[in-house]
Amino acid sequence: MEHNVERNDPVGAVMVVGGGIAGIQASLDLAESGYKVYLVENKSAIGGHMAQLDKTFPTNDCAMCIVSPKLVDCGRHRNIELLTDSDVVGIQGDAGDFTVQVQTRPRYIDLDRCTGCGDCADVCPVIIPSHFDEGLVVQRAAHKLYPQAVPNAYAIEKRGIAPCRDACPAGQRAQGYIALIREGRYEDALRVIKEDNPFPGICGRICNHRCEDACNRGKLDDPINIHALKRFVTDKVYAQPRVPPEPAERVHDQRVAVIGSGPCGLTAAQDLCRMGYGVTVFEALPVAGGMLRVGVPEYRLPSEIVDREVQDIVDLGVELRLNTRVDDLDDVFREGFDAVLIAVGAHEGRMLPIEGIDLPGVMVNTSFLRDVRLGASPDIADKRVMVLGGGNVAVDVARTAVRLGAGEVSMACLESRETMPAHDWEIEAAEAEGIQIYPSRSFKRIVENEENGIGGLECLNVTFMEFGADGRLTLETDPHSEHIIMCDVVIFSIGQRAGLGFIPESTGIGVTRQATIAVNPNTMAATRPGVFAAGDATTGTAFVIEAVASGHQAAESIHRYLRGEELEQPPKPELPVVDLARAEIGERIQRGEVEVTPRVAMPELPVEDRVANFAEVETGYTDELAQAEAARCLACGICSECLSCWYTCQADAINHDMLERAQAIQVGAVVLAPGYEAYHAEQSSEYGWGRYPNVVTALQFERLLSASGPTHGHVQRPSDGETSKRIAFLQCVGSRDQTHDYCSSFCCMYATKEAIMAIEHESDTQVTIFMMDMRAFGKGYLEYYHRAQERYGIRYVRCRVSKIRQDPQTHNLLVRYVQDGAEGPSIVEEEFDLVVLSVGVEMSDGVRELGRRLSVDLDEHGFCRTHPLRPLQTSRPGIFAVGPFRGPKDIPETVVEASGAAAAVGAVLAPARWTRTEDVVYPPERDVSEEEPRVGVFVCHCGSNIGGYLDVPSVAEHARTLPGVVHAEDNLYTCSQDAIQHITEQTRELGLNRVVVASCTPLTHEPLFQDSIRQAGLNPGMFQMANIRNQCSWVHPDQWDAATEKSKDLVRMAVAKALRLESLRKTEVPVEKAVLVVGGGVAGMTAALTLADQGFPVHLVERKDRLGGNLRNIMHIVDWESGKAQGNGKGKLVWHDSQAFLQQLVERVDSHSHITLRLQSEFLESTGFAGAFTSRLRTANGVDEIRHGATIVATGGVEYRGQEYGYGSDPRIVTQQEFEARLAQADDPSSGSGQGLPDSVVMILCVGPAERYCSRICCTTAIKNVLALKQRNPQAQVTVIYHDIRTYGFMERLYQEARRQGVMFVHYEFDQKPDVRVTDSGLQIAVREPVLGKDMVYHPDMLVLSMPVVPPEEVDELATRLKVPLDLDGFFLEAHVKLRPVDFSSDGVFLAGMAHYPKFLHEAIVQAQAAAARAMTIVSRDVLEVGGVVAEVDVEKCVACLTCVRICPYRVPQIQAEFSGVGDIVGAAYIEPAQCHGCGICVSECPAKAIQLVRYRGEQIEAQIAALLEPEMVEVCE
Amino acid sequence: MTEQDETNGGFEPEITVFSCIYCAYMAVDTAGVLRIRYPANTKLVKLPCTGKTDMRYLMEAFEQGADGVCVVGCPIGNCHHVHGNERGQARVKYTKQLLDEIGLGGERLEMYFVSGGMGETFANAVRGMTERLRALGPSPLKDG
Repeated sequence: MEHNVERNDPVGAVMVVGGGIAGIQASLDLAESGYKVYLVENKSAIGGHMAQLDKTFPTNDCAMCIVSPKLVDCGRHRNIELLTDSDVVGIQGDAGDFTVQVQTRPRYIDLDRCTGCGDCADVCPVIIPSHFDEGLVVQRAAHKLYPQAVPNAYAIEKRGIAPCRDACPAGQRAQGYIALIREGRYEDALRVIKEDNPFPGICGRICNHRCEDACNRGKLDDPINIHALKRFVTDKVYAQPRVPPEPAERVHDQRVAVIGSGPCGLTAAQDLCRMGYGVTVFEALPVAGGMLRVGVPEYRLPSEIVDREVQDIVDLGVELRLNTRVDDLDDVFREGFDAVLIAVGAHEGRMLPIEGIDLPGVMVNTSFLRDVRLGASPDIADKRVMVLGGGNVAVDVARTAVRLGAGEVSMACLESRETMPAHDWEIEAAEAEGIQIYPSRSFKRIVENEENGIGGLECLNVTFMEFGADGRLTLETDPHSEHIIMCDVVIFSIGQRAGLGFIPESTGIGVTRQATIAVNPNTMAATRPGVFAAGDATTGTAFVIEAVASGHQAAESIHRYLRGEELEQPPKPELPVVDLARAEIGERIQRGEVEVTPRVAMPELPVEDRVANFAEVETGYTDELAQAEAARCLACGICSECLSCWYTCQADAINHDMLERAQAIQVGAVVLAPGYEAYHAEQSSEYGWGRYPNVVTALQFERLLSASGPTHGHVQRPSDGETSKRIAFLQCVGSRDQTHDYCSSFCCMYATKEAIMAIEHESDTQVTIFMMDMRAFGKGYLEYYHRAQERYGIRYVRCRVSKIRQDPQTHNLLVRYVQDGAEGPSIVEEEFDLVVLSVGVEMSDGVRELGRRLSVDLDEHGFCRTHPLRPLQTSRPGIFAVGPFRGPKDIPETVVEASGAAAAVGAVLAPARWTRTEDVVYPPERDVSEEEPRVGVFVCHCGSNIGGYLDVPSVAEHARTLPGVVHAEDNLYTCSQDAIQHITEQTRELGLNRVVVASCTPLTHEPLFQDSIRQAGLNPGMFQMANIRNQCSWVHPDQWDAATEKSKDLVRMAVAKALRLESLRKTEVPVEKAVLVVGGGVAGMTAALTLADQGFPVHLVERKDRLGGNLRNIMHIVDWESGKAQGNGKGKLVWHDSQAFLQQLVERVDSHSHITLRLQSEFLESTGFAGAFTSRLRTANGVDEIRHGATIVATGGVEYRGQEYGYGSDPRIVTQQEFEARLAQADDPSSGSGQGLPDSVVMILCVGPAERYCSRICCTTAIKNVLALKQRNPQAQVTVIYHDIRTYGFMERLYQEARRQGVMFVHYEFDQKPDVRVTDSGLQIAVREPVLGKDMVYHPDMLVLSMPVVPPEEVDELATRLKVPLDLDGFFLEAHVKLRPVDFSSDGVFLAGMAHYPKFLHEAIVQAQAAAARAMTIVSRDVLEVGGVVAEVDVEKCVACLTCVRICPYRVPQIQAEFSGVGDIVGAAYIEPAQCHGCGICVSECPAKAIQLVRYRGEQIEAQIAALLEPEMVEVCE
Repeated sequence: MTEQDETNGGFEPEITVFSCIYCAYMAVDTAGVLRIRYPANTKLVKLPCTGKTDMRYLMEAFEQGADGVCVVGCPIGNCHHVHGNERGQARVKYTKQLLDEIGLGGERLEMYFVSGGMGETFANAVRGMTERLRALGPSPLKDG
């Protein structure tokens, strides 16, 4: 227990790490008791594992039904700040004052703007496995974690930059358009391409597609055929009539001149025009497009594509001046341009200075190709054409010559065939067309023939060539290799350069030695201010995509220049490039997400059809081929930034530029609730998970069972979707094995639950559960297990399955295990349709990392190390741990710990309570009771979620016609922040006194809208909602008219109710700060001290004459410390002195100034309600009356003492507590150490009532005492006769240690109980071992019986006096087994310790802290608000018949004698508003109709019914 | 699944649903989230708990022209108000008898128990009810 307030001025804020049920409960308890809470969750929504569950045991409650209200409370609590997608990365400071570093990953969707409508997910083309559905189905990269997620907002999963995009100079989002092609959304795909590149059709054909070289898919089979897909999509869209783009809006006066209409100039022109500048492009040639139009042959790039893409740019409003050569740069400035971009390309072909270049028939590449494209082809028919050069342009020239009918075409180049710079596929295509290649030649001269024409080319063979780092060529030739290649035409294609005659030196534009324009490569700025240059003119020839990239860059710089900004952009943080490791791809194949399929080949024209003309060689994909190829994409980046979401989101919530955010948060304490990770089942390869489709994990099965899961709750097997009739569960997968020395605690129960649910779904399902022990140790668990066997026929087989095989035909599974029998062990193999692996609990790497960052001590499995007497305290003061992080545990225990942590935090932070919290201040409430109704109706489109499926404006129109309605409007998103503000304003300005919103579900949105009218001074009761999304548009999407009419009906109904609404009356009741604690055992004392230490007065009442309760019987407790922790490989037992602990507790209670202790006293009765109870106590001195705000019941339990197994008949037959006392006595030096201890002991577990309910602690207590005996008398022979060994969690280690020490464990069945006899020769115990069928007989010195914990005497009477219920076994019954484990259903009364159920000391301590925390949520306030939706009695109608008194599930109504009922009879019912839960059961049962429920009055409901069905029935009341 | 549209000239029964604000209302929400279709003539009135079901409301719905009425609550044993749904169930049973007696037919009224995730179950229930009412024909009270 933590009781040292270390600082006087701590920070009144707490950080809770982990948003599962533990974190949620801790946050709510902390926020409710006066602390500001930062809840850090690393996913995009809170909810944790519990949100994934279908049902919860043992009540079979729907997990989502019970957790969802807590999610909503947490999301809306004004003192809880949710930090989703966040991790704690560091911490400084000490308890009371920490600074925590929190890193928040971008979710790319603005939480404040997102309305959760889901339009982004509808258009997102990227498919990923759904983590929430455990990989059983896919989801989109833009997704909401689950339908009820809090925050109710979408998130985009983005891993990094796909390598295809990274490799592209222009950053083309190839992954994005590929995904859209897969979906058949070609227009959208083209839009994505155009985001980065105005020339998709062009690049689809002639780009050198470095993206494909980078493609991760290449590591698996072939890279995606990206260029073919790009071309496909442009062909597809361009086959449609062109729709000219909207002209760009002119924003700036400034004008920019672009010289050159090639890809670089036009890209820049487009960008600048879109930015709002005036742009003029100067082009010397009669056509635009630069090299694209005049340098690339038609067969590779048809002119109409160039023309179309150029026209799209011109239509934006770019002025294009063709046939306009710029001769003098200064002319351009004189014309008034503010900036100039030189993008003239490299259009001057180069020749070599060799003999013969003046001969007719010698040409250069650029002019040759240009003449061909402009319709002035040279006549080379039947001539022998020699092309000099080995690059791609040379190939273009040669292949063009083929098409012009040349007799033969050859190429000669310096490089070897292997090192030719042209792409391999270009060279191959050339060779296929009959072009002869002469590699490794240097050209000596062009030989003149007799007709003064070309006769041939004289060459030398190259023996060595290399370009040095400075670009200079080293060349060696064989001087004796002179030879002549005969030809008639020589075309040089050895390079091009820019024509820079228009910028003489006098213009101030610097030029490099390579005859390119000198620019700053970061900004494209030339040496003269206002002049920029880009593209080939600055770099020499490059590819189109580089020109495009360069154009974008130049445009950005020019924009910055014209805006007067620094030209150099500050560096932007960038996402990493995703490099998928081969192993990761392998895992995806194993999970079935990826199939090995080669790339879909691009169909081509046969060679014979292509050499005679300029038709395109590659014919392009069909739809089917393209989609098949697109489906191969591995979606490396996950989100591809295709921007589909951005275009569709009407709330303007998408922001792909979000960055990771780091913040330092000051808090006084930290609660760690990071939760668990399910064991990775693939590690148990013998069970085939991942390889056999019908082997699933329990979490996957949970999703299959869930009605909102991937199969809508139909248990279909993954392999074929068939129902599974034979299901096997394998227990202890990843628990109780060589690598896990602990039990995962809850798998036995969840397997049983899942089995029951499977049978509930399909009644003829047969389920077998293979297990070692049935660990049904919680409240109601054993009964649940019995029901599973008896009512559902579930078969439990005690064994560990060794292996599973799959029948390859049926995908059925053969489960192999060893069955012990009378004839010895035998191997059995059984066939099942589906196998569920009950995977255990592990700590994730992230949790280990968290422990390391926070310097919190973890064990070798990553669990947090805590001390049994200070269970929630980590090794670092001020940091607390709860939930599975402390060891495997189920939901109720986790919730108890979460509340307990809230109390433990208080020990550090109590002085700072309410210092960091905020109160919302509302304007004073307007009294509208005398006003005529003035209803305002707001109808929501919810983006397209409602508006796309029904006529929203006509619904608003209809609302306007309804009586009482003075205003109706429709809104795009009614819940957006501005719309909320708007409702407040309209309410105020129009004097509305009732507001109706027709939108989505009140379960999530009602409080938000109520808040908006409170801001306008209207009582929140004057609000009504109509759910036209969940009940109309979403469920009738193809019935426009019917959905519209139904929406009108629902709005009419809401208005009818609104007319009759009344203010919800809340009154403030002052809170009594004291707490009454009943029971002075460890739970009561702990609760009392927890409260008293934090300043609350406590009345502690104990029936006996001394404190201590059951702890007086516990002499020692034991823990196991693993060998790894000690570094010696061997573990050891660690004993703790529980009596010393008790002593301390008693002393502190006795001396505490805030605790009033009453021994030998009893609780008599209580009146009042939460916050204001009055109780009477009988004390040694008479009856005391006290006032208190809350009550904690901690009356404990006692060891059962029955006559089973001869107990009481012989002193050698003792209970565990008696045995423990004897062990302690033996330690007393006066009795002689080790003396009087038996040499042989038999223990029998599960005695008496323990057959009915598991007493939880007996197995471990027995083992503890065995170990204590063995420590004192190592020779002692011990046999434990058990039914199940339930050493759950880490206590499994004690069980293992006992086995190591040679303790014998013998199983028995309840129908064959051990037979105990006291004979003359001593004790004789006989038991039948059921598996072997053998009778075993023992003659021990002592028989120790594990008697269960039972409730103390007279508990029934106490329960009646407290007005709280008991369960069938006599333990107090909490409000909800799962989520309200320390609350009673009556507010303000809590329970702790063994009064609730048998439990260990550390569990009782935690639960006592939890009860104190829950009580503090009441007594830490000065006033409580009561009232609202409550039942009210009209005493004049009441006949005091007691119906309501009997029927109320909360025992609230009472007959008050001072009231007069019908006809002045004495006594009438009274319902205390502070206690009423507002269910209305009493209203309907009351025979005199004397009770009404606020907000659900008879006339309100009847008006709704009438308005719904009869439109004319809506009328103003009164 | 496509719903029968109203153009087929068939009779489209009007169903009033009374649901509690816990599991049942959440199940109706879930049907929406999962886009599970059901007949558009199904319209819902909220009650705080099905324990608040009153015979008067059920009869009022028929009087106002409903062809059928459904009451939907939490699963038995999971009522958020302990046993309100059982109270509601008893009243529905009693009202069914009464409907039989007055000749309207108890089969026009039904109670269902669903948990929050069971959108499909809710949709199936009202589909089934629609089928049943189509066979029964319009409520005799409708134009009376």
